[in-house]
Amino acid sequence: MRLAWGPAEESFRDELSAFLDEHAPLEASVRYDFATAEGSDGSIPAWSRTWQATLFDHGWMIPGYPRDLGGRDATPVQTLVYLEEMAARGVSRSLHFPGYAIVAPSLLEFGTEAQRALVPAAIRGDTVWCIGMSEPNAGSDLAGLSTRAELDGDSFVVNGQKVWTSYATIAEKCCLYVRTDPAAPKHKGISLLIVDMDTPGVEVRPLRHINGAADFAEVFFTDVRIPAENLVGSLNDGWRLTQGSLAHERSGLWVEGVARLEHGVTGLIDLARECGVSDDPNVRRRIAEMYARASSLRALGYKGLASPDSGRMSPEHTYMKLASSEATSALFELGMDIQGAYGPVTDAVRGAEHGRWPLGFLITFANTIAGGSSEIQRNIIAQRVLGLPRT
Amino acid sequence: MDFSPSDDQVLLRDSIRALLAAECTPAVLRAHMSDLPAATPLWSHLGDFAALGVGPTVDLCIVMEELGYVAAPSPFFASACLAAPVLAAIGDPCLDEILAGTTTGTLALAGSDGMWRANSDSHKTFVPDAASADMVVVIGGGVGGADGGNCTVATQIADDARRITTLDSTRPLYNVECATGTPIGTIDPDALDAIIERATVALAAELVGTARRLLDMSLAYAKERVQFGVAIGSFQAIQHKLVDMSLDVERAWSAVYFAAMTLAAADAPDESDGSASRLDCKRAVHVAKATAGIAAKHCAKDGIQIHGGIGFTWEHDLHLFIRRAYASEALLGTTNWHHEQLGDLLF
Repeated sequence: MRLAWGPAEESFRDELSAFLDEHAPLEASVRYDFATAEGSDGSIPAWSRTWQATLFDHGWMIPGYPRDLGGRDATPVQTLVYLEEMAARGVSRSLHFPGYAIVAPSLLEFGTEAQRALVPAAIRGDTVWCIGMSEPNAGSDLAGLSTRAELDGDSFVVNGQKVWTSYATIAEKCCLYVRTDPAAPKHKGISLLIVDMDTPGVEVRPLRHINGAADFAEVFFTDVRIPAENLVGSLNDGWRLTQGSLAHERSGLWVEGVARLEHGVTGLIDLARECGVSDDPNVRRRIAEMYARASSLRALGYKGLASPDSGRMSPEHTYMKLASSEATSALFELGMDIQGAYGPVTDAVRGAEHGRWPLGFLITFANTIAGGSSEIQRNIIAQRVLGLPRT
Repeated sequence: MDFSPSDDQVLLRDSIRALLAAECTPAVLRAHMSDLPAATPLWSHLGDFAALGVGPTVDLCIVMEELGYVAAPSPFFASACLAAPVLAAIGDPCLDEILAGTTTGTLALAGSDGMWRANSDSHKTFVPDAASADMVVVIGGGVGGADGGNCTVATQIADDARRITTLDSTRPLYNVECATGTPIGTIDPDALDAIIERATVALAAELVGTARRLLDMSLAYAKERVQFGVAIGSFQAIQHKLVDMSLDVERAWSAVYFAAMTLAAADAPDESDGSASRLDCKRAVHVAKATAGIAAKHCAKDGIQIHGGIGFTWEHDLHLFIRRAYASEALLGTTNWHHEQLGDLLF
């Protein structure tokens, strides 16, 4: 056991730092806690497209991938150093994660040659993707989805509705989970299709987040004809792919989650000073509790890397989404508490800080619900990590 | 940043674990309750590990974690974690016997307020294993006084040690009246703080072991106990409790070994082993003990709840570990105290 990184990691970090110093646009330095809070209509600004392409072209988009996929064959530990350095600087790779984080690994693992050819553009951000999973009656019970796809000649005909689909308002393509065998047990009749969002019969209706921004949408499918070759993997084998998708979505996110927490703790210290309560022992103790939560979670994330399965989903990392999302919510609530009567105020009474804590607090529920709610995470950990029997 | 144990560390963990599984059963704990010498045979084995008192901090934590898992009644903490580093700091010749495990020591530092920092009280409190220790190392006053602010170090035999009865009998604590004997040396208060910080991380490692024992017992019980025709571990109400307990144990473990590595890096002469400031160390120590305290209390409370009625009985072993958890959480600073200290370091 050793605190220091090895020389290979440190020189990797130096190389990344030099690249970021030269190329990272100011706009890419996001305020983690506040990035999408106001005025967002979900569109992707030009600087972000350029930045993502620059990262790809220099092999810094997904360092663990080979050169032709926007990487540089980095080791899992180097990838962690990459995520750590990006998070420490508050630099965001991309404003739309489904393409590079979920679609790319799924297509690389399960796609046909033609489908794998879509991957570079997905990672480079040239193609914007959304993922059609949740439905009005299939949220946590994802396997209960009922959007139908029936094979008719060389096409699937799709009818149904998806909901809470992030980036659907701007996406060009969608990875759509559909029911292809209604007679089979629910986990065994699901398939994955690639859908061009401009196909006739696809209708996107924006949904506003709890904070007012329109970043996700309902998507309706009415007699949408999808070429049969757009099937990813085998027919009725889609559930296995959802499991892969969710794992990809969760595995590296902990670094950003912890950075968001640490950034928030620094914010709380500043806030306590501004509010004149920095000498209040109760305030200090509660902020210290948050610091301890953040730093123990960072340690847990590092520990996960030391697991035999280094780089893949380790048991430790299944805890990270649950723990960091719940801690972040508590952190923003503490930010409101510290302000007393001003807690829920969103006017610009404190300069740049206006609305940071109350609006940020509302946004934190995205993390305790999306990608599997905290309750579903607990079910998964109970069964897969602790070996408890299924209900 | 590498949390994987070396081959030697794995060997160390496996050997102490096997030893304790055989030699430190709940039956030994129960015998020790009414008859302290019942645990003496255990020390004849554990004494072999006493040299870790001045050894690598991570290795010390590995042993302490296993001792916590069985709630070992043993002077290891008092002798190796507390007395040995002080004797080493002043270059006392008794150190060799302490490290060999042939002599046991303990440390009298906390005064009337129960806080483990330099003070000039002659009434010392919460001295672990004082009655059975061969020597009590006593830290006297001196802060801001004579001898350039260093604290005096003296030794005595605690023949008048008075037992403090607590929830836990596995680590007996004593009040000791310290005579103004002849000092055998002096120690810088900052060096003393660093020794207490290292002992605090070691105690936190022990707490994690106790927490993990409570979790393991509760997990095993939830898998075997049948109600309403199924194992109670199939109910979400129970599953979610166990997940939250295990999360607290996981993060406490990580915080403890992060702190151990931080202390090791601060002492390392070679920059490539990492570097850490005194502030880094203090923060990491507070996080480790507070987080371990949270985990241990959480596992104690929800552990008894998951066990239901049987966990509330004297005959079931669960309470042995619940008692140890609460006693260790309060020793060398409660969770609250460590959060308060950490808060002061953040502002």
